Amino acid sequence: MRSSLTRRTLALSAGLLALAVAAAGCAKKSDTHSAAGHGLSAAKVGVALVPGGPHPYFQPWKPTLQKAKTDFGLGQVTFNETSGWDQTTQNSVLKSLAAHGYNAFGVFGVSPDNINSTFSDLKRQGFHVASLGSCPAGSTDEADFCLSTDVEQAAYKAAKAAIAAMGGHGKLVHLTGNKTDSNTARREAGVAKAVAETGGKVTLVQTVTDIDTDLQTAQKAVADLLAAKGSAIGGIVNTAYNPAVASAAAVKKAGLPIKVVAIDDDPTILADIKDGSVTASVVQNPVGQAYVGSYVLMKLAGGCTMRTPGLTVDSGSFVVTSANVGTYDNDRQAKTAQLKKDFDGSYLSCAA
Amino acid sequence: MSRPPHAPPSPPAASDAALPAPDPAVPVPVRALPLWANPRLGLLVLLVILVVVFSSLRSEFLNTSLTLEPMQADLSVTVVVGLAQLSVLSLGHMNLAVGRIAAVSAFAMGWAYDKLSVPLPVGLLIGLAVGALVGAAAGWTIQATGVNSFVVTLALDFGLVGLVSLLYSGVGDGVAFHVHPAGMDSLRNDTFSDYCTGSVCGPPVPLIVPIALVAALAVGLLFRYARLGREILMTGSGLKAAELSGIPTARRVVQAHSLSGLLAALAGFLLAINNGAFSADIGSQFLLPSFLGPVLGGTLLAGGAVSVIGTVLGAAITEVIQTGLTLLQFQVEKLKIFIGLVLLAALSLDRVRHVVAERRGGGA
Repeated sequence: MRSSLTRRTLALSAGLLALAVAAAGCAKKSDTHSAAGHGLSAAKVGVALVPGGPHPYFQPWKPTLQKAKTDFGLGQVTFNETSGWDQTTQNSVLKSLAAHGYNAFGVFGVSPDNINSTFSDLKRQGFHVASLGSCPAGSTDEADFCLSTDVEQAAYKAAKAAIAAMGGHGKLVHLTGNKTDSNTARREAGVAKAVAETGGKVTLVQTVTDIDTDLQTAQKAVADLLAAKGSAIGGIVNTAYNPAVASAAAVKKAGLPIKVVAIDDDPTILADIKDGSVTASVVQNPVGQAYVGSYVLMKLAGGCTMRTPGLTVDSGSFVVTSANVGTYDNDRQAKTAQLKKDFDGSYLSCAA
Repeated sequence: MSRPPHAPPSPPAASDAALPAPDPAVPVPVRALPLWANPRLGLLVLLVILVVVFSSLRSEFLNTSLTLEPMQADLSVTVVVGLAQLSVLSLGHMNLAVGRIAAVSAFAMGWAYDKLSVPLPVGLLIGLAVGALVGAAAGWTIQATGVNSFVVTLALDFGLVGLVSLLYSGVGDGVAFHVHPAGMDSLRNDTFSDYCTGSVCGPPVPLIVPIALVAALAVGLLFRYARLGREILMTGSGLKAAELSGIPTARRVVQAHSLSGLLAALAGFLLAINNGAFSADIGSQFLLPSFLGPVLGGTLLAGGAVSVIGTVLGAAITEVIQTGLTLLQFQVEKLKIFIGLVLLAALSLDRVRHVVAERRGGGA
């Protein structure tokens, strides 16, 4: 009985496989899908901004998208953060938004290593895609364009600011995000470059990764770090949001003479810069990403093309210290206006 | 489905109550429940109701290329992940390392494709072998030390997190292999409807679906009919009784964990195909779905009874709820609450139906 059952199992399995092979042997249809939108008026463009999951960094995207809708006369807009930092979920969120009639997507990919496949899926179906806030890993970008902080450059600037505050010598610690994110590798490279330029006067004693999941994780890691090496550390450079908030608070509370360089412009960090407990913060440009990203997506749906498909554009990063804490947003707004001009003048090709 | 209370030796429960029990050694339940009380049928009805509700609320739910095809591709992964957990639940064990076993196997596959340029099936076999070996090592540790499977696989999970990270940074290209061996893109993008003989084309089913179907069929038949599967279930049902019956329980524990590792590796392969890269974060979201499918489907956490059809239906229900609620565009906070509520309501209804059926059966 057993052997006959084994034969049945094998026969059924072989049958299913044969079906697959037979199908593969058939003639394949043409791979082109109907284009979802080219030459569309602004009112027919639906822009969806899809971050990798909930994170304070993306909150400015929401009001900015509404502003873009009013300014450019877009048909429908939505901000959807339900991807929950899972690439599979993000893929289904994008598909469901497409099913809803959105035809242009600004995406912060959960996994920079997998997101190109998602982009090519959407492009294959005729949608327009911008990689916003983070570019795919590797040298190719299947999206129409990437508008993001140059994370290596931002980390380099942050490390330079920390080193300057430390007086050019001492021990530096780097606190950052997910080790399996290729952006983390870029940030580490930026910090390493700044440290190498000191010719050995500054040493990077530790890089703590995977502590940007939530504030509690970051607080615990910072407490452990300060307990173990607090008196030996001269500076902390943060290239992720939660460690920045946690280290600024912990150093202030412990009263240690550690120079902290943070990231982004959370109100607590700006307050810390004003009272001197945080030396500097490297601020990014999420507003510019959402505003200019939506604008360019609208232009692409309207029939323009990228002169260089998959072009990476730096959305800007700004070092904020006590000297410019009140005025840095002017620089950021100027950068956003400049980005829009650059796309119109240099990066987009539109038929007259 | 419940385990018959007779012992010793405690008989293995049928892998699916819906199927007739051919083995005369298995005692017939004292009272037979009506057909409508079959848990699998209940899940199937629930699935149909959910599909009808979501598609009437949102017609986009029936959009072939944007909803149905991606849902089937995702479901293929969750079904195989569920089967990986089911393989050890059959023993009353757990495998908390399903995700990391998938990750380390995906590394092996990515490495083989990238560095050795092997064809797609060869890389898959290498990955499956790695998964089976890691699973077997976990099984061996559990049976040799007598330490609870929860602890052993939790420790294995921690160990593999570090190992995967080290492997990718040491050998791989950062955190992923971006190689696309021949056939991978077709497997990822195509459905049977893309292939035609004359004017007759296949159904809109992604090409990776049959792989998951073969896995489900093989596991179902293994636990239903094969001696190995029945002996694993008997080991899970009562270790001492199984030993006294002459079953090599230590070997069965290793084999069940090895099967779990192999299926976790297959799930890793399918996810890599779906996502388009063999990366370090493969499997990081596997743990919860691995339990959800089997447990919703009626597999006992205590061991001795499994349900493959139930696992497939449980995974499908989860997938349909997730997709349906996403289409209804719930905000992130509400989405999680509603997924929990709908699952709870679904299970409560199923339980009510089962209790009513048992009472009626008792009164008959």
